[in-house]
Amino acid sequence: MFVARSIAADHKDLIHDVSFDFHGRRMATCSSDQSVKVWDKSESGDWHCTASWKTHSGSVWRVTWAHPEFGQVLASCSFDRTAAVWEEIVGESNDKLRGQSHWVKRTTLVDSRTSVTDVKFAPKHMGLMLATCSADGIVRIYEAPDVMNLSQWSLQHEISCKLSCSCISWNPSSSRAHSPMIAVGSDDSSPNTMAKVQIFEYNENTRKYAKAETLMTVTDPVHDIAFAPNLGRSFHILAIATKDVRIFTLKPVRKELTSSGGPTKFEIHIVAQFDNHNSQVWRVSWNITGTVLASSGDDGCVRLWKANYMDNWKCTGILKGNGSPVNGSSQQGNANPSLGSNIPNLQNSLNGSSAGRKHS
Amino acid sequence: AGRRRTTSGEGRERQAASGAAIPDRRAPLVADWVPRRERLPRPSDPGPAAPPPPPPPMEKMSRVTTALGGSTLTGRTMHCHLDAPANAISVCRDAAQVVVAGRSIFKIYSIEEEQFVEKLNLRVGRKPSLNLSCADVVWHQMDENLLATAATNGVVVTWNLGRPSRNKQDQLFTEHKRTVNKVCFHPTEAHVLLSGSQDGFMKCFDLRRKDSVSTFSGEAEKWSIHQRLLGPLRGCPLYPLGLLVEGQSESVRDVQFSIRDYFTFASTFENGNVQLWDIRRPDRCERMFTAHNGPVFCCDWHPEDRGWLATGGRDKMVKVWDMTTHRAKEMHCVQTIASVARVKWRPECRHHLATCSMMVDHNIYVWDVRRPFVPAAMFEEHRDVTTGIAWRHPHDPSFLLSGSKDSSLCQHLFRDASQPVERANPEGLCYGLFGDLAFAAKESLVAAESGRKPYPGDRRHPMFFKRKLDPAEPFAGLASSALSVFETEPGGGSMGWFVDTAERYALTGRPLAELCDHNAKVARELGRNQVAQTWTMLRIIYCSPGLVPSANLNHSVGKGSSCGLPLMNSFNLKDMAPGLGSETRLDRNKGDTRSDTALLDSSATLITNEDNEETEGSDVPTDYLLGDAEGEEDELYLLDPEHAHPEEPEYVLPQEAFPLRHEIVDTPPGPEHLQDKADSPHVSGSEADATSLAPMDSSFSLLSVSHALYDSRLPPDFFSTLVCDMLRFYAEQGDVQMAVSVLIVLGERVRKDIDEQTQEHWYTSYIDLLQRFRLWNVSNEVVKLSTSRAISCLNQASTTLHVNCSHCKRPMSSRGWVCDRCHRCASMCAVCHHVVKGLFVWCQGCSHGGHLQHIMKWLEGSSHCPAGCGHLCEYS
Repeated sequence: MFVARSIAADHKDLIHDVSFDFHGRRMATCSSDQSVKVWDKSESGDWHCTASWKTHSGSVWRVTWAHPEFGQVLASCSFDRTAAVWEEIVGESNDKLRGQSHWVKRTTLVDSRTSVTDVKFAPKHMGLMLATCSADGIVRIYEAPDVMNLSQWSLQHEISCKLSCSCISWNPSSSRAHSPMIAVGSDDSSPNTMAKVQIFEYNENTRKYAKAETLMTVTDPVHDIAFAPNLGRSFHILAIATKDVRIFTLKPVRKELTSSGGPTKFEIHIVAQFDNHNSQVWRVSWNITGTVLASSGDDGCVRLWKANYMDNWKCTGILKGNGSPVNGSSQQGNANPSLGSNIPNLQNSLNGSSAGRKHS
Repeated sequence: AGRRRTTSGEGRERQAASGAAIPDRRAPLVADWVPRRERLPRPSDPGPAAPPPPPPPMEKMSRVTTALGGSTLTGRTMHCHLDAPANAISVCRDAAQVVVAGRSIFKIYSIEEEQFVEKLNLRVGRKPSLNLSCADVVWHQMDENLLATAATNGVVVTWNLGRPSRNKQDQLFTEHKRTVNKVCFHPTEAHVLLSGSQDGFMKCFDLRRKDSVSTFSGEAEKWSIHQRLLGPLRGCPLYPLGLLVEGQSESVRDVQFSIRDYFTFASTFENGNVQLWDIRRPDRCERMFTAHNGPVFCCDWHPEDRGWLATGGRDKMVKVWDMTTHRAKEMHCVQTIASVARVKWRPECRHHLATCSMMVDHNIYVWDVRRPFVPAAMFEEHRDVTTGIAWRHPHDPSFLLSGSKDSSLCQHLFRDASQPVERANPEGLCYGLFGDLAFAAKESLVAAESGRKPYPGDRRHPMFFKRKLDPAEPFAGLASSALSVFETEPGGGSMGWFVDTAERYALTGRPLAELCDHNAKVARELGRNQVAQTWTMLRIIYCSPGLVPSANLNHSVGKGSSCGLPLMNSFNLKDMAPGLGSETRLDRNKGDTRSDTALLDSSATLITNEDNEETEGSDVPTDYLLGDAEGEEDELYLLDPEHAHPEEPEYVLPQEAFPLRHEIVDTPPGPEHLQDKADSPHVSGSEADATSLAPMDSSFSLLSVSHALYDSRLPPDFFSTLVCDMLRFYAEQGDVQMAVSVLIVLGERVRKDIDEQTQEHWYTSYIDLLQRFRLWNVSNEVVKLSTSRAISCLNQASTTLHVNCSHCKRPMSSRGWVCDRCHRCASMCAVCHHVVKGLFVWCQGCSHGGHLQHIMKWLEGSSHCPAGCGHLCEYS
């Protein structure tokens, strides 16, 4: 079902992040070589690098797109302890003729004293806001009060997480019933058993972020965290990349039942846990409807996970990361119902073959 | 011979090699140097009083053991508090003592197994003079008793630890005018000391003399004056000059004797230049090049590759130069995150060097110059700027000492360093809008099919530490990533169904039944049978069966056509494929909250039977439905009442709630539908490629059964909770499109049963999705049709249209169509002569225009302007 299209990225060191824009037609990559590249999809479906520039003086860990309503805007964060906001300049120039676009730095956020490990724009309905987290365990939330002026950002909140932070995820829900919420993961590897995932919620009364939940069961270093797109769900789904893939649901307990003013209480359930990567899991990413989760691990594979009607999550596809063609077909899917189950041996035996692979 | 000068390295080499060319005028000191250099090409030459030196480098390993005297260094990561901030540190040749110097500290500590122990305080005297305010300190590498300090007031002091008195101060050179930034002993010569100062001069001292033996000026422009002044002395460079050129020179930041060439030293300057000097030629430098943008704070000669010089500057870069070639060649460039204050090659690791910064950054980094972007190791102990770093032993790569402005002295073990490389994420993954996946991964991860390492239980002690610690391990090369995009094949798992559905759904403008039918048809054509079923059910629930003309009904039945209403048969579980029946029953037994009535059960059945469990349901023979219609009726009755009876009070709700206004017109003809049916079940791979449980071919006879059921007893209100539950179910399954579409189509019928916030949430989510797919028109339609106030105002925000009067050219502020000043209507329709208040189209040639419909109608008949101006209007 999937066709692998290999792209000569030409980054001089490891690529740490890939990010599609809101419309899925542009892609940004960032690398340890301190540069960010922007790729545009042509009509024929090919990806062309339209910009490549040095962004930081250290490894660039993450790159992320703002909602296009705010323009063509990227944010990047780096080992050099800064996060930066970039905007594409539209204008007549030679660059344009060569099919290249020009990006200018609008701001540098220098509040962190350690490596900035993640940067994420808040959901659009919150305005132009940006959250960063850093290795010193502080989540910072910035706001551009004037969306037309990308060079002015004010630090609105500083949330101390006590643990070195590695990743953050905004709750994307646009519902008024859901207060702004941000989940933070830590890759602290010291041999303590502290919970590595904390969830902070904005409190309208105090105008501060307060800890709403801690996922006590996650004690291994967390490398990525992602809320599923909330398309009208009453609950939230959170995927976590740690030594395995975990999926949690967070059901808000009805407000009337909790004391008003305090943080929302959640009923938290772990709905899936897969160690099929058999190794460190580095990334998790949701599809646009929040129904399929993709995860990648040290085994160099991408695995797709999907829930069936009984909320039973199963593996629906394995993609080899080296761009080798992946055969798989949904037609064959039901022929092998045990695929994607929690039996690692079976999984591994299927790993090499193309038979019986199925995905959404 | 002394006049023969070239700035090329080659020239210098020649000069150095034939240093004996001018022996007659050489001072005894220099005459002493030359034979020694010839005798011992290595800088490990001991001083007169020094113990035997380590043998020349043969094998790394043997050298390590020899150097370490058979016993390896031991210790741990530790630190001790100093009384004052340190400016520089230097290690004694025995690797057991370290001297710390600062503005108000000058102490010697011994490095014990577990701690630092203060051995000696060199700051003696009641009133410490400025001479003791140290900017730099260096311990002679051959004489354990000999130290030199550079004072901030420009004084260079030497110290003899062998002095019996408390005051160990030996000599005082007060020749520099400003702070001395750096002092450096000759690596093999016991009595030669070099200093570099802020005043722009470097001075070479012979410790047996009271004054400097030569002065080097860093400023190129001063050369001529210098030369003129030096004229009589040329060829006798090592005599004390005693002549200082006044003038502003570039400050010297670092001076370092070369280990390779006996006479050579490198100096770095604040203007970004690096100069190479021959110690015998103070009049001009051998070579000069611009190494950095901004000040060059430090340099260090490679201990093994003797021609390599590492320089660090304020431009945050460390550059490695090959000085053996004609021009200094940049071999490597490491980009650090802050200005580089110190750089030190790591012993025994050919490509490693340690750096620290003079501001912002408190950490010490160890870089592999071949991987210039990511530090190999990082020491994070200091809380303030690190001012001095030194490898404890010239042949041990694992111990690093450092002093800091935070008043602490640290010993770092390489083993305990944090390794940013290992924490760095080797993969990037992003799900695209169309179901495509972008995946970037470290090439070694995706290339290695086998040898996958299992998850180490404790990441503190994974294998890579051992690997990193072994310097003999060959470098794996620059890490790189493979980037690929996994694209869904057309018609595959992409979101195409979503776009198609969004574009083709009819949400308004037609009777409810028609809308339902249309949407069901769209869903079925896209292979989304479950959704199609839902639309059909909605049609049955909400459309008055009374208005279905019986003739029409009979007609359909007579023709045996299917009309996309395959609903009721699913009530009968017996009709389902056996395997499926068990599935659904299982589901029901799970106590799904959604199931309280038979109908709900059926809907749950329909909905939950998703793509993971493809069924053969569509192949169930359909004939019996027609034939056994009467028989089925009983069963349906049996099933329904037992669930429905408790709801009895609801049955008597007034019929008025029941919308009676729609008529079913134009039932689609049979054959087309048969075709649809043939196509639909096989379109799969999409989000909702659910296969219908129910046979596609249904019959109106069955429908009539359901009519009989509901007609008399069940008003649509009865179902509204179920419908709401169903919508919520769709939303939770990620299909907010269905929830919103049904919400709009049913309008008032269900709206009141779903709280406003949820509706709003659905709307915003769906609009966001539509905008992602650039379905602006659909998105606007949804906004327009939404009944939620918060949503419908979305279209009215942020858009302002400024209109100017076409007559007086003034802005029309209050109303867009009539000018306040000239009181004329701005835009008159040329056809109907009324004011156009909405969409105004006009010919750009003659600027006449009017209502869109009117102009279109007009142009059908004539291409001339309706205003009569004679223009042949063109509209694009």
